[in-house]
Amino acid sequence: MYHFLIKFIAVIKYEQIGGTVLKYIIRRLLLLLPVMLGVIFLVFFIISLTPGNVASMILGDGATDERIVELREEMGLNDPLIIQYGRYMGSLLRGDMGVSYADGRSVAGEIGQRFPNTFKLTITAIILSVLISIPIGVISATKQYSIFDNLGMILALIGISMPSFWIGLILIIAFSLNLGWFPSGGMSGVMSLILPAFTLAIASTASITRTTRSSMLEVIRQDYINTAKAKGVSKNKVITKHALRNALIPAITVIGLEFGVLLGGAVLTETVFSWPGIGRLMVQSIQRKDTPMVLGCIIVFTLSFSIVNLLIDILYAYLDPRIKENYK
Amino acid sequence: MNADVLEIKTEQLLKTKKRSQLFDVWLRLKKSKAAIAGLLLIGIFIFMAILAPVLVSYEDDALKMNVRVRLQTPGSDHWFGTDELGRDIFARIVYGTRISLFVGIISVSIALTLGGTLGAIAGYYGGKIDNIIMRFLDVLLAVPAVLLAITIVAALGASMLNLMIAVGVSNIPGFARVVRAAVLSVKDQEFIEAAKAIGAKDHTIILRHVLPNSMAPIIVFATLKVATAIMATASLSFLGLGIQPPTPEWGSMLAGGRSYIRDHMYIVLYPGMAIVLTVLSLNLIGDGLRDALDPKLK
Amino acid sequence: MRNKVLEIKNLKIRYVTDDGIVEAVNGIDMLIEKGRTLGLVGETGAGKTTTAMSILRLIPDPPGEIISGDIILDNIKLLEISENEMETIRGRLVSMIFQDPMTALNPSICVGEQISEAISIHQDVTKEGAKEKAREMLEIVGIPGSRMEEYPHQFSGGMKQRVIIAIALSCSPKLLIADEPTTALDVTIQAQVLELMKELKEKLEMSMLMITHDLGVVAEVCDDVAIMYAGRIVEQGNLEEIFKYTKHPYTEGLFNSIPNIDDRKAELIPIRGLMSDPYNLPDGCSFCDRCDYALDICQTEKPKKIYFSGTHFSECHLYSGNSDFQLNCGKK
Ligand SMILES: Nc1ncnc2c1ncn2[C@@H]1O[C@H](COP(=O)(O)OP(=O)(O)OP(=O)(O)O)[C@@H](O)[C@H]1O
Ligand SMILES: [Mg+2]
Repeated sequence: MYHFLIKFIAVIKYEQIGGTVLKYIIRRLLLLLPVMLGVIFLVFFIISLTPGNVASMILGDGATDERIVELREEMGLNDPLIIQYGRYMGSLLRGDMGVSYADGRSVAGEIGQRFPNTFKLTITAIILSVLISIPIGVISATKQYSIFDNLGMILALIGISMPSFWIGLILIIAFSLNLGWFPSGGMSGVMSLILPAFTLAIASTASITRTTRSSMLEVIRQDYINTAKAKGVSKNKVITKHALRNALIPAITVIGLEFGVLLGGAVLTETVFSWPGIGRLMVQSIQRKDTPMVLGCIIVFTLSFSIVNLLIDILYAYLDPRIKENYK
Repeated sequence: MNADVLEIKTEQLLKTKKRSQLFDVWLRLKKSKAAIAGLLLIGIFIFMAILAPVLVSYEDDALKMNVRVRLQTPGSDHWFGTDELGRDIFARIVYGTRISLFVGIISVSIALTLGGTLGAIAGYYGGKIDNIIMRFLDVLLAVPAVLLAITIVAALGASMLNLMIAVGVSNIPGFARVVRAAVLSVKDQEFIEAAKAIGAKDHTIILRHVLPNSMAPIIVFATLKVATAIMATASLSFLGLGIQPPTPEWGSMLAGGRSYIRDHMYIVLYPGMAIVLTVLSLNLIGDGLRDALDPKLK
Repeated sequence: MRNKVLEIKNLKIRYVTDDGIVEAVNGIDMLIEKGRTLGLVGETGAGKTTTAMSILRLIPDPPGEIISGDIILDNIKLLEISENEMETIRGRLVSMIFQDPMTALNPSICVGEQISEAISIHQDVTKEGAKEKAREMLEIVGIPGSRMEEYPHQFSGGMKQRVIIAIALSCSPKLLIADEPTTALDVTIQAQVLELMKELKEKLEMSMLMITHDLGVVAEVCDDVAIMYAGRIVEQGNLEEIFKYTKHPYTEGLFNSIPNIDDRKAELIPIRGLMSDPYNLPDGCSFCDRCDYALDICQTEKPKKIYFSGTHFSECHLYSGNSDFQLNCGKK
């Protein structure tokens, strides 16, 4: 993986700058824009379905009807949805996501404070998953139907069948309440990261393992693997150089999609482990009916997901020369 | 050949092909121990869901609080123990099966109907319509599914109906894509051309000829998606955004028992196992079906 | 003195599958001398590819297994050496060209790298040296060296096959195995590729095992011919012996089923029936169900080799008592 990263950066830096990869990235970014506009509108629309009168909620029980009408006008809640959306987009571009209904704090500020925590958690989890799952998937495929493969596949199936919040609770019972090795929640140094990161990593590890195995199985049956062997390429090198790269092409897509699952899982894991990230913030905000905060959280989540998928697409183009070709 | 004969022939061809195919699939499925285990397991859960009133009493065991017997460890009186309010955990799990299977199946049906329609239209007509639908799906797909479901429930409010809508809608893009791909793969085959040639209407062609012949991947996908939907239901309920207490739902049982895990781990152990086993059985069946339907992939 | 490059003795290979055991190769002998080309001819499923892959020891295992026999390449007993030693032999002493050029190149590695890889493995050269050599090879097979950095999908089928030839020949092997190298190409390209192979073979003084269905290809490039049927070599001899003094009814059948260039009006007679079920080979001669000359003994007893000259033999009961028997060339 590290090797790839280095090579990948090298490609972008020296060889292809101003060339195909750059064009490809720009193309992808341009495609991303309308999707993001659409997504924010969609989320905005869904949130606007919230029943109840926001203004009276903010003002509390003692508010006069007059004041409520006034506030509604002030907040622009009487304008058509599309105008409200335009206004929101306008301030969003300036990095302003409004203020919390609950405590009047800046939404962007709150999210900015918590985002690094979620980032730390999800990145650790995805790195863990990739590091564990790709070797297991590859070995399983090269030793198809061996004990290792059978056991690995059973575990992977169980892995995708366990809800993350339950795994979290079980890990807390075992490793924190009984053994006392790790804290059961909160964020206090590396030790507190381990349990939540593992919890979050299990499901994606399982499904990336399954994908890697099946695409590897597909690849090692291809003719070009025989060509490589017939050249005298050693067994290990056939796998690492000729098979893995081609097998990773479909696996990478799944890693991207898994990241979405992981972000959803983050909401649950953060809740279980009282991890101060935006997942937990979102759940709390929903309970407090703090609409701007909820909207902010979901937008940041979605944006992160899209950026990860953009990176995945670039990696994809690097691995599969046929894609780069289309942008020459 | 006149049109009627052609139609009859096409019908016959389709029927024989379908029947023997299904039979083959069953033969291959039977060979997979994992799939059989999954079928047995889900059978037990379905059995529990149907016979729930016979096994336990909803009012007395699953709902009524009884502080005198709260937090009892598993034993002969209470197989899985009792929770913080003295309710029998086994009874609640049994009734929870009803909820989970019901919500799982209904939300997948919602996704299948809406997503399937979109996908079938996109695949069958292609061109501009396809393009518009696919761009819309791109937007839906850009929000991670669980987060989309959470957002929908957050807006509509937590209730069983809203939960099913939320989980259903968040699964629309997946079904649309699968159905679209399936439709594309059979669209240009001869019998479709034949049906077109005898002037059948578009929706008849889609419903009677295209879909039945592209069922295989859709069935596999739906089976796997019921598993995810059950998981999502539990997740949302765990967050307090799904089924509300005191209704016995596995996820909300875990949420309720969370504070007692230090001394009473069984409170979260058994409901969690119920989730894992249900989801696992559906995944086993889904995998088995996929291999049985597409033997070359094994 | 004869200079044996490849010698195969009594080779038996089978595939053990869920549906049963396929006896793919059933005791064959083969000899290729330095600088000569042996054509291995037979219809689909005869075991040609299996034989070829066994020389590289690349039979997929499971399901394939070599049950017995010897494969001696350049005085090395291939079935007795370790996998590591075998890796140093593949590509250096023996290389192979596969049937379908469309799938035989790695889609995500540029062609130059795919050629230079073989060179770096077997020769003591620097990375630059290997690259330079790869460029030379590419030009030898008629592709401009400037296309080194391009990927397989940017090449046509014929050019891909040229690249594969460049890979196979990059370390000047003693033996080149070509498994139907032209079947997947269109006719005009076929001739070019064959011509190229012939030319390079002369230049590098290689021996060649040419697998094909096509007797036209055999006539053009081979010195010797082995006819394979249901895992056995049923007739072998030099080009003249096989083409002029055809002995085995199956060989005759093959000739009758292709258009004759000299006599275009001659009727084409396909061989009737299908090859016997490889899961369940008969006790006697495998060909007897399809043979117009079949005797009673053909049903029950496997025919033995009968030699007609030092190089020409056939496995057929027709000649066991009477080596002067004449086939009537299908003209009944
Ligand atoms: N991996 C395998 N598993 C099982 N059976 C196999 C396998 N590979 C080949 N066989 C069987 O072995 C027999 C010989 O196959 P082989 O590929 O050597 O034939 P061939 O002469 O090369 O045919 P073709 O002209 O079609 O390439 C066939 O019956 C084939 O079905
Ligand atoms: Mg072959």
